[in-house]
Amino acid sequence: MTTIEKLNRSKMPVVKIDKSLEKLRGKNLFPEKLAKANKVIARVGLPKF
Amino acid sequence: MKLPRYDYLTEGNAELFKFNSHGIKGEIKKLVVYTKMLEEDIYNLAFGDYDEETDSINDQVITNNNDSQKVLATVASTLYVFTEKHPLVWVYATGSNHARTRLYRMGITTNLEEITIDFVVYGLIEDVWYEFEKEKNYEAFLIKRKLH
Repeated sequence: MTTIEKLNRSKMPVVKIDKSLEKLRGKNLFPEKLAKANKVIARVGLPKF
Repeated sequence: MKLPRYDYLTEGNAELFKFNSHGIKGEIKKLVVYTKMLEEDIYNLAFGDYDEETDSINDQVITNNNDSQKVLATVASTLYVFTEKHPLVWVYATGSNHARTRLYRMGITTNLEEITIDFVVYGLIEDVWYEFEKEKNYEAFLIKRKLH
């Protein structure tokens, strides 16, 4: 199998980096959703894994 | 994932992903965001329409670009990249409303066999986590990469 065929069959896509996205890293872009999610996890915890 | 998906861009930590949805409404920029939660090793997954001018995201808007399956497949695909970079974390996901959460459930159901090769998936019902099963309505989902 060629490298290209291997890449096309891979579940891991070939992803390019966009450095402009780094300005958004660490920002809370969904404050309400995140607060709600934190409340759920604080109350329910994680599954027994 | 075998389903058609859009190509996307990410940044060095693989916590933000940007792609363009192409459909009947034209080109719409989308952003997928993994945000660290208060509890250690849990990230919240969210996505929505991205306004580059204001750096804001709207996850309430109904885009109706007639490509929801392709958008969901793209979001699901980012899980592989994110968990490659963060293999030990849990990912928490829920829709912005019941209809969206149901859409997520349908997306997981459609691809369950493939997803469960690489991930464990739990669904939340009345404050209890259950291993994901088809035909059940969940309020939220937790996903973790299997360590092969």
